[in-house]
Amino acid sequence: MFHEAAFYSSEDELLNIAVPFLEASLETGAPSMVVLNERDSELIRSVIPDTSQLSFLRDPYLRPASVIKSVQQVLTGQMFDGTEQIRILGEVPHPGMGMPWEWWARYEATINHAFDQSPLWVLCLYDLRITSGDVLNDVTQTHPYLMTADGRRTVNNRYLCPEVFLTRARPTYPDPLEAASPLVDLVDPMPLAARQAVREAGASTRLPVADVEGLVIAVCEALTNSICHGRPPVQLRLWANPDRVVVTVTDRGGGPADPFAGLLPAATGPPGGLGLWLAHQLCSLVTLDKTKDTFTVRLVAGQPASCHPDVRVA
Amino acid sequence: MLGRQSGILSRVRRTGVIEDARGLGLHDHVCWAYDDLNDFRCRAREFLAEGLELGQQVWYVAPGDVETLADDLRDLDGMALALQVGAARVVSVESAYPAGTVVEPAAQAQAFVTAAMQARMLGFSGLRVAADTTPLVRTRGQLEAFARYECVVDRCIASHPLSGMCAYNRQELGEEVIAQLACLHPNINGSTAQFRLHASNHAAASLNGELDMTTVELLSLALQRADLQPDGGEVVIDAAGLTFIDHRALLMLADRTRRTHATVVLQTDWPGAAPLVECLDIKEVRVEPPGWR
Repeated sequence: MFHEAAFYSSEDELLNIAVPFLEASLETGAPSMVVLNERDSELIRSVIPDTSQLSFLRDPYLRPASVIKSVQQVLTGQMFDGTEQIRILGEVPHPGMGMPWEWWARYEATINHAFDQSPLWVLCLYDLRITSGDVLNDVTQTHPYLMTADGRRTVNNRYLCPEVFLTRARPTYPDPLEAASPLVDLVDPMPLAARQAVREAGASTRLPVADVEGLVIAVCEALTNSICHGRPPVQLRLWANPDRVVVTVTDRGGGPADPFAGLLPAATGPPGGLGLWLAHQLCSLVTLDKTKDTFTVRLVAGQPASCHPDVRVA
Repeated sequence: MLGRQSGILSRVRRTGVIEDARGLGLHDHVCWAYDDLNDFRCRAREFLAEGLELGQQVWYVAPGDVETLADDLRDLDGMALALQVGAARVVSVESAYPAGTVVEPAAQAQAFVTAAMQARMLGFSGLRVAADTTPLVRTRGQLEAFARYECVVDRCIASHPLSGMCAYNRQELGEEVIAQLACLHPNINGSTAQFRLHASNHAAASLNGELDMTTVELLSLALQRADLQPDGGEVVIDAAGLTFIDHRALLMLADRTRRTHATVVLQTDWPGAAPLVECLDIKEVRVEPPGWR
């Protein structure tokens, strides 16, 4: 895989980066996917005469584990078709776009491992006008190649291999709701009690039942992992407002040994290794926080807060 | 073995957690875990008294001599006469099942079916049995055989004019054994089992309750004992009462049927089931709404 990040500060710069990338793909007949917001997609359509060979996907960047799974499925299908390379041009969500970053930072690192041997060229766009310094720092550590606005491509000497990036201590991003006392605070709960607590909280929100039950599954999986693999005591805390339920599950262990846990299904081992990966596909946000003494999984149903104090807007 | 059978039952079975033994009818099957023998006697009296009112022949099977057992019931309305004319019968467990008896599941269940049919021939509306079967599950071998018997007899109860209450002494057997037995009944008391796998009147089995890490071993045992058989390449599970199943249990269901090349059809409206099956791409499990067919 060829994984690079490109930074732009204007529409012209966006086009300078995106158009040559896509036109090269069109010349070779390689399949290309464009994952941008509607405005930027329209901008590209306006300058490339024939976009019939490009797949414009609308807002598929909802959950990183699901994106990885989808790309794997596309790759499997394309390989049967004898395709030599697939190009993806996208803009990964971050707080400048109103979305939390933590799991997308892990995504940017993880795909270097997941698609290491895949015929994939992924160009990730970041708008410098709305991208925070913290996000840019992560971006430069997760992309082996960088492209400047004038189209120059360089090997990125700040790149960290994904295992290193993912196992480093990283800042935690509590949800703003966590500033208040939790509605539920349980120590060493059994899964049944945890599910009941989440359902009761969910029933008082405007969230669809399916979203609440997705959170119920995710909380149960996180709690099961803490009970089976973490160290007691296990603490479950819950906050809610009408549009969001936030649950944290904290144990005194070191968290999963697999740095890709959550974004990739456990390749080996018992079925229990699937729990965190499922949680990443069923919640609107999952963050993993490690401290010296604790491991916390944060699970959110409903629209997540951007969870980032440092949003730089031009 | 539980299997889908044709034929329409005359009454929808009751399923759930019950507080007492009242309001149960033909085809109902209860597991009652008791800590105090008086509790069992009280529930058996409720169960059998209503059976008499419904025109059923009633049997009371428990440890002790028959005279003492008859005394447990005699003051109930109409019971003295019923005992005299054979509408009610008491059976001493010790005399019917010598110590250490390991039941033969199919034969034991057939014996109750035969008795139920005889009761019908005598003009009763069916047979109702309240039994303290604690002495029949004291050893591992006894427990294994009796748990399999519970699955077989539950199918018989669902499809014949039978109803039964199986009582077990929790103090003697412990919570784990009680859970193994309770989860094979449509009706239980208290929180003896977090899920129930039992016969259904329109599917290979009915699965109710919540399945998670705490029920992994129990579900594995229950599936072995129930021995669900495919019908037309499918094992249809009526899961209308299922309110949670985790991926471990789903994968276990898939694994149990993979060897028979059958598809598990999970009939549930719990909204978590379909996303889990989709995320895990479990080809052996299909989720359908209840009553879809």
